[in-house]
Amino acid sequence: MSSSLFGMVNQAMTGLTAAQYQLSVVQQNVDNADTAGYTRQVVTQASVDGTYGTHNIQTGPGSLGGVTVVSTDREDDPVIDARQRAAHANSAAADTTATTLSGVENVFPEPTDQGFGAQLSTFWSDWSAVSTSPAANSGAREVLLTDANSLVDSLHTMAGQLNDMVTATTSSLNADINTVNTSATQLAQLNGQIAVASATGVNANSLLDQRDQLLDSISKATGATVTLAANGTATVAIGGQTLVSGTTASSMTVDSSNQISVGGTAVSVSSGSISSEVTSLSSTIPSYQSQLDAVANALSDAVNSVQAAGFDINGNAGAAMFSGSGAAGITVSMTDPNQIAASSTGANLDGGNALTASKLGTSASGPDQVYIALVGTVATASANAQQQQTVQDTVSSNLDTLKSSVSGVNYDEEVSNMLLYQHAFQASSRVLTTIDSMLDTLINHTGLVGS
Amino acid sequence: MTMRITVASASYAALDGLEAQSAKLAKLQAQMSSGNQITTPSDNPTGTVEALQLRSQSAANDQYGTSATDAVSWLSTQDSAYSQLVTLAQSARTQIVQALNTGAGDSTSANAIADSLDQIRQSLISEANTTFNGRPVFGGTTAGGVAYDSSGNYVGDDGAVTRQIGPNTTVTVSANGPNIFGADNDPTNLLTMLTNVANTLRTSPTSLPSSTLGDMDAAITRISDAQAVEGATYNQVQLAQTTQQSTATSFKTQLSGIQDIDIADMAVQITTANTTYQAALQTTASIRQLSLLNFLN
Repeated sequence: MSSSLFGMVNQAMTGLTAAQYQLSVVQQNVDNADTAGYTRQVVTQASVDGTYGTHNIQTGPGSLGGVTVVSTDREDDPVIDARQRAAHANSAAADTTATTLSGVENVFPEPTDQGFGAQLSTFWSDWSAVSTSPAANSGAREVLLTDANSLVDSLHTMAGQLNDMVTATTSSLNADINTVNTSATQLAQLNGQIAVASATGVNANSLLDQRDQLLDSISKATGATVTLAANGTATVAIGGQTLVSGTTASSMTVDSSNQISVGGTAVSVSSGSISSEVTSLSSTIPSYQSQLDAVANALSDAVNSVQAAGFDINGNAGAAMFSGSGAAGITVSMTDPNQIAASSTGANLDGGNALTASKLGTSASGPDQVYIALVGTVATASANAQQQQTVQDTVSSNLDTLKSSVSGVNYDEEVSNMLLYQHAFQASSRVLTTIDSMLDTLINHTGLVGS
Repeated sequence: MTMRITVASASYAALDGLEAQSAKLAKLQAQMSSGNQITTPSDNPTGTVEALQLRSQSAANDQYGTSATDAVSWLSTQDSAYSQLVTLAQSARTQIVQALNTGAGDSTSANAIADSLDQIRQSLISEANTTFNGRPVFGGTTAGGVAYDSSGNYVGDDGAVTRQIGPNTTVTVSANGPNIFGADNDPTNLLTMLTNVANTLRTSPTSLPSSTLGDMDAAITRISDAQAVEGATYNQVQLAQTTQQSTATSFKTQLSGIQDIDIADMAVQITTANTTYQAALQTTASIRQLSLLNFLN
């Protein structure tokens, strides 16, 4: 390029092309303003030196050769990206835990007049009524036995609902693992394409956007460690085991004891929704199940031992009212209300033993206290999880905002850039017109002396 | 450089704000419509546990109330039976005094007195079989319908029907026949004594010992004593009822404090939340319509 007039045409041309390209990038940004995962692109342009040695006034570096587009970059901050991924992983874990615990909490709708706590109170009042009216066919015995059956039904229902929670959480875990595996496979393919694009100097910005979205999806599920290579390819590791490296993706699996493995090696997932699901399945829900079993066993043991100490309406030693163990296994084995051991002395209308049973409701080791402790544990855990969820969501959404403020599109900004490039285009055009008129002067209006 | 506000970040912020307001409003509405501060246990774990404890204690307290009401019925039944028994025993005593005074020289009148004593004895047996709810109140815990058979033998047992009327208070609401009339084989048993006196009056009216009157007095005192015990128990139950009612009220107040919403406060909160939500919606809608494009031709 030189500063000859024809050179200047070329120089003006670079200005026009650059302005046009800038406008096309503005258009790309505006088009994708609300595309998920889109990173705003900016053009870096640089002035170009004229060709060395062809200029008759100034030559060499600093001579004038117009403008060129050096690169089109994503407005991206890898540090914020990493923080955002970590925050998303924590937030996903907190969300999943809060959702699971809220499900568990719904199994125990307390305090209400219909909850299991109220049912227990009714049951003890029934015993009190039997102690007042221990005669056969007085109605009190029948009511007591019916309510015993209701208690057992409720225990079965609650045990079933906790089981449903296990089933639902297992499904979520499997779905999350599927997502991770699908994302890992896609990421490995993408790594290949990015490596090729990077080697050949092709713009890989949209591939990098896709890469970041896949990394985010894997992180949300697992809190994976991500390492980015200079050429843009990503390596992903979970609990020290490589999930994706280059174009190779390993597979994540889970066994029947909820142990997660990557590429066949057992790993511990420390964050993300999968970590929460594994914790729920291996410790949280089982602990509530065993506490509920303890409620059933406390009920059965307490009532049966009182029964054994008394005598039924016919003077026989009291038979067990409940059999089986655990919330799912407990049943009412008594069918004849006259077998209720109301009397503590024999075949008479003493109600002493029934009175003893009615006091089990306020016993410190009775089923009521075990149940109240269970509800308290669930409530506290759920409240903490919700609190944690709020905190993590705030952290996560702050980082989303930060990320978006770096990588997002602002219409005002794009429109003002648009004005800028439009004017640049117009100015370059005007320069071209000027050169044109100068050439016209040279070609058509010079050399006319003497003609 | 100030933070860039982008299309997405503005959306996040607006959405976050709107969602938070909307969630708050939904929570308040759930509380308002249920009338409960605690709609799920996690709303207030401590409150939930306290409420469950209070409900359990309150149910136990209600049992005491029911038992006390039942105890009052038993004791009232006993009380009127005692009064009848005392009246009957006193009229028997009057007859015996008459027999002793007249020297029972007249066998006709002696026989008449003996007949009258027999009748009183039957009435005493009948009164001793007074029942409440089908159960003889002087028969202990017997499953049978009577405390005394027709010949005046005690057929009840020595058990006691008890009612728990307070956390640590149990009262006996039944009585045992032998404690009122004396044991069956005891010569001072009222029923046995009346039979013996009547027999003596029929066979040798003059041999009626004057100590009979003292024995009669002792028998009447025994009934009165039993009635006094019953009266004391009755007072105890009434006192327990008062305590039980005030305890019940106290439980209800505490429970209400934990569970129930303050409607006035809740109404103000809901109105405030609603206004904030509407304001957020309106400003979001109107502000986000604007961009530089609105002002360029």
